[in-house]
Parts: sequence; structure tokens; C-alpha cells
Amino acid sequence: MQRFRRIVAALALAATATTTVAACGGDDSGDDSGAKTLKLWHYEGENSAMGVGWNRAIEIFKAEHPGVEVRFERKAFEQIQQNAGMIINSSEGPDIMEYNKGNATAGLLSSQGLLTDLSGEAEKRGWADKLSPSLQTTARYTDKGVMGSGNWFGVPNYGEYVTVYYNKDLFDRNGVTVPTTMAEMTAAMDTFVSKKITPLGMAGAEYPAGQLFYQLALSKADRTFVDNYQLYKNPVDFTAGPLRYGADTFADWVRKGYVAKDSASLKAEDMGTAFIAGKTPMIVSGSWWYGRFKAEMKANWDTFLFPGNSLNAGSSGNLWVVPTNSKAKSLAYDFIDITLRPEIQDLIGNNGGVPVAGDPARISDPKDRKLIEDFNTVSKQDGLAFYPDWPVPGYYDVLVGGFQGLINGSKSPDQVLDTIAKPYADGVKEITGK
Amino acid sequence: MAVPDTVAAAPSAATPAPAPPSRRRPRGRDAAYWLYLLPGAALFLLVIGAPLVGTGYLSLTRWSGVGDPTFVGFDNYQRLLHDEVFWASFRNTVAMIVAMVVAPTLLGLLLASVLFDVIGRRFKPRTAAALRAAFYLPQVLPVVVAGIVWGWILRPDGAFNSLLDAVGLGALRHDWLGDPDTALPAVMAVMIWVQIGYPVVVFMAALQRVDPELYEAAEVDGANWLHRFRAITLPQIRPETFVVALTCTIAALKVFGPIFALTRGGPENATNVPSYFAYYTFFKKLQVGYGSAISTVLTLIIVVVAGVFIGMQARSERRDRGF
Repeated sequence: MQRFRRIVAALALAATATTTVAACGGDDSGDDSGAKTLKLWHYEGENSAMGVGWNRAIEIFKAEHPGVEVRFERKAFEQIQQNAGMIINSSEGPDIMEYNKGNATAGLLSSQGLLTDLSGEAEKRGWADKLSPSLQTTARYTDKGVMGSGNWFGVPNYGEYVTVYYNKDLFDRNGVTVPTTMAEMTAAMDTFVSKKITPLGMAGAEYPAGQLFYQLALSKADRTFVDNYQLYKNPVDFTAGPLRYGADTFADWVRKGYVAKDSASLKAEDMGTAFIAGKTPMIVSGSWWYGRFKAEMKANWDTFLFPGNSLNAGSSGNLWVVPTNSKAKSLAYDFIDITLRPEIQDLIGNNGGVPVAGDPARISDPKDRKLIEDFNTVSKQDGLAFYPDWPVPGYYDVLVGGFQGLINGSKSPDQVLDTIAKPYADGVKEITGK
Repeated sequence: MAVPDTVAAAPSAATPAPAPPSRRRPRGRDAAYWLYLLPGAALFLLVIGAPLVGTGYLSLTRWSGVGDPTFVGFDNYQRLLHDEVFWASFRNTVAMIVAMVVAPTLLGLLLASVLFDVIGRRFKPRTAAALRAAFYLPQVLPVVVAGIVWGWILRPDGAFNSLLDAVGLGALRHDWLGDPDTALPAVMAVMIWVQIGYPVVVFMAALQRVDPELYEAAEVDGANWLHRFRAITLPQIRPETFVVALTCTIAALKVFGPIFALTRGGPENATNVPSYFAYYTFFKKLQVGYGSAISTVLTLIIVVVAGVFIGMQARSERRDRGF
């Protein structure tokens, strides 16, 4: 019966999944230690910082493992996101792949025994020493699949964090200097508003609104709050404290014109292109924009950390995971090890990425260096606070819906906090049983 | 089987009515027909039947898509009954039926008969054909492309608001897709634009087969355009109207692409529809069992609606044939 159920379940999932997984033939013969093939999947673009770094890592791997064939397949993010469970449960899965960090992804698969426990390797190969505590959070999962403690099931290679991008030309033209405190930040925004310029780009239909709310909440929060909110250590109060402050301040910023009232339906791409076009003085968003701005922006621009915050939205990037069914585990560990070497980490840094074990002194472009220095500042002070939608599956859309209401004025902060509190509580109950 | 033309003699009162042809065919031929159905039936079972049964089974479980499903009976269905978002998504389906069935069918009827009857006669047929093609164009565009482009048009700084500015109606500028009060009407307007070409093309094709003598006779009797439309056009193309209404209703019930591209069901579920809700529950919330329950309910509703339509059509055909 159990087997029948599995077959039916797999059939239904296969039929419902929108993307098909291309089967890659071949028989990986031999046991783990003598494996002659390493099947590697990731979903980074060819020219992205990670893509460049990992291409080089593959070359080094081949040089150090003569006679081993690396079968690399580039996948789509969505494809992995939606089908990972099925893929790595089959014999056609990869030996090593990039997979999404977080409870609903790596956590879920690890709790089902589909990922290899990497704790021993992390100790032996010194990965644990290279990653700060907040970077390790996304690498370790409990037996229930909750991140933050327990065994290592993934190894991050790069970092990401939310910062403020600003258009230097617009700042200079309007006599605004880079703010270092929240008071200076609001004064700067007032200056822009008085000149009929909306200071902060926004996108209500996607993640930017939730991230701004979270940044504001974090300005009044400490690590305990983050542990409670993200790792369910204690119940979280949505009616007071950091979350209350975040929602109230967000509404206040909309009221004062810092954020456009008609940005509820805009997507992150709209916000990004408006910034590239020089229409927006500032956006509060992630380091993933960096390479794009560097490539496309004509105006002078730079970044500064969200003023006054010691905690910032951010985390490790996605993870290298080794499926339980991997037929070349020791080769997979070797590959992970190569990606953490200074040479590859610096390559990621020199291509606009944020290495987790990078040395800013070896980064040639001053702007790239600043991006990495800022990340290291946040990371060293244990200031990576993850993302507001992480705690429960499906919370992303809950936050989007809530903050659209704050932007277009259809909801008060109280109503929004109510809206986002219940799905959070339900989701946490689903995960922890409490 | 072609039926040989026979010149029917006018039946006289003396000759008895011919017996109706026997409906029974020799058995051997029946078996041969089944053979032709096999490939289609096998594909149907594989592509539709098996996943349908699988989804039905999954809807009775709790499962995150990985590991073993836990059997929970009808829990998911009970949960559905009390799920506000589920009911909201079905309310929005009614709006989608208005936008994808009612409005396009009515407008399509009107446009088709104007193109056929007025434009086609007064101008060259080529003009009517060009206009028909223009109406049909949105049907050819990939729906996601159309959705993204309309998203740009309706953006706060998009073409529609700029147009309002240009004609002095700047006061009406609005975040059309970002306001729960206007998002659904905006999506409905886009759906009417997407759908309108389909009924126009089908109805114009249907009008081609209406005997022109009927119209000529009506004109001789002094019927104006409206009379002709009501007395000839509508009854003559009733079968096509059924087909259009049925296919569009099914499309409206399972609409997904435009919602995904335009609003992702937002803001605040104002444009959520069952198929997007099922997708979101299944893939984003990883509640595969619950998502399957939503899909199963949606499938049952579509089957029932299709059955009702086909029954109505069969009845109407029987009425037309007089038995």
C-alpha cells in the first residue's frame, strides 16, 4: 500500500509539475570513492559572479581529478524550486547541486532524509571556521528541518544583504549628503519631497515592500527578536515592539511621500529599472542588484548601509547540497572545498558578487570592495537577520498583500499587522506543532 | 459515409411515411471503430486519467511534496469550506465568467453581425476580414506576453495614466492594478480584450453558412437590421453560440496565465482565482494535499458545467429538429 501511495503521489506530482526534468542518461558505475563522474547542477547565470566563479572551480576540479568527468547542467531556479524533492529522490538526480536555503526548501528535504549530513566534512575541512555564525544559520537544520542549529546540510558560497543604493548625481544636484543616522535619512528624504521628487523607489507587488518594513523593524530589534521571529524560539508579538514600529513607520513614510502611494502594483523589476533610469534617488534592496546596476547604470551611484541598523535583512546565498542518493559524495565534498578557496571567492568578489570568505584587500574595484566590506561589517557583528518572508512557507505573498494595503492606503498598520500575524502563527504551528 | 443524393419526391398522402433508418450497425464494424479509439484512449488515460486519480488521492492526504503522504480523509475538503480565500477566489470566478463569456459573447455577436452584414456589404469583404483579424490578434499573442504588456500599460507611470493626462483627465490617474477596488475591473477589461476575437471569428464563420436568401426575403418583407438580427442571425447560429459559451466558460473557470502575469492574485486576493490559489497552495505553501483538494473541486465544477451545457445544447438541437 505504501508503495502504491508513493507511485500515485509521484505520478500526480509529475503530472502537476509544470516543468519537466530532462533525464540525463548514463550509468555511474563504481562506488563512491572510485566514482568517475560528478553530476553537478546549479542555476546561476553564465556571466553572474557565481557563474564565473564556479566555472573556474570546475576547471580546477578537473585539473585536480584527472579521469573524472564533470557533467554540468544549468537549471532554472523555478525548476529546482518546484521539483527538487522529486529529482533528488530519483536515481537520475545530481551528485551535487545548488539548492535554496531555508526551512521550506533545504530544511524540508533534510528532514525527509534526502540530503547528506555534511557536519563531519564541515569540521574536517574547516568550512565551519570560514563562515560566521549568521552565515551558518542557513547551513544547519534540526531534524524537523528548522534552520539555525543541528547538522550541516548545505554549504553557502556567497552572501547577500539588503543595503541602500543611491544615485550620487541626484544627491549632488539636490544638495543631499549620504545619511549616517535615521534622523539624517529622514531629513534627506524631506529635502527630496520638498523638490517634488519621491525619494525611495518601491515595488508593492513583490519583495521590496516587505524588506523595507523588516529593515525598519530591525532598527528597533535585537538578535533575540530575530531568533524568535525566524527560529520560533519564543512567540512573536505583532501588536507591539519591532513589528509594530516597522508597520507604523512604513505607513508614516507613505503618508509623508517618501514612498509613492501608487507603487502598490509595481514589481521589483520596475523599481530597479526606474533607479537605473535615474528617476529615483534611493532604493532599499539587496546586493543581487549590484552587478546589474554596474552593467547598466549611466548615472553615478553607490551604496550605504541602512542608517542606524546593526541588524539587516540578509543571509548566506543558496547552498551546495549533496543528495543522499549521490554516487560521488567525496568528489562533491572536494568540489565544495574548491569553491571556498580564496581564488574562487575573490573571483566572485571581483565580478560583483559577495563572497562568504573573501578578502576585500584582493578586490580591485573600489565599489566592489565597499560592497564586500559592508557585508563583512554586517556579518562580523552577527547582523544578518534573514528575510521577513522566511519563517513559514507562503508567507511571501501574505507580506506582499499586507504591504500593498499600506501603500495604497486601503489598510491601517493595525489591520496589516493582523493580516500578517495569523498566517505566521498558523505556519509556525504547522512546523513546530506548537 | 457519404449519403448519395436522392431527389426526394414530394410525399403524397397515399404513400406511407418511410420507416426511420435502423440505428443498429453490424457488430463487426463496431469493434473496428473501437480500435481507432485506442491510441486516443491510451493517451487520455496516461495524460488525464491517471493524474486525475492521483490528484484525487492526494487531496485526501497531508503532504509537502516530499516523503510519504499522510492519509487524512476529507480534512482538506472541510478546511476548504471554511477558507475565506477559497470562496473569494470563486467569487472572482463569477467576474471572470462575465469578462470571458458574457461580455465577449454579446459583443462578439454584435461585432460579427456588424462586420458581416454592414461592413462586409458596404465595403470590400477584405475590410471585414482585416477587422476580424485585428479583433483576433489578442488570441494569437501568448497570454503571458499580453499580461506583461497590459501590466506596463496599467502601471502608475504607464501608458494609460499618461493618456489620461494627455486628454486632460489627469485627476483620474490611478494605480489600477494596485488598488483592490480597481484591480478586478482592470483585469476583467484585459480579459474582454483577450477574448473578444474568438467569438467574432466563430460567429462570422457561422454567418457564412446562413442562407443569404433568408436575409433577402426578410428585407423584402421590410425587416430592418435589428429584426433580421433577432429573427435570423441569432437562431441560425445558436449551435456556435453554445460552443463559444461552453469553451469560454471552461476557460474562465480555470483561468491562470493572465492572473499570474498581471497581479498574482493580488492586491489582497482581490483578483485571486481557484487555479492560481491551487498553484500557490501546492507549490508556494507546499501544501500539496490541500492544493489537490482545490484542484479536484475545480475539476468537478468544470465537469458539471460542461455537462449542463452539452445537455442544453442537445435539448435545443432536438427542439430544432422537432423530436
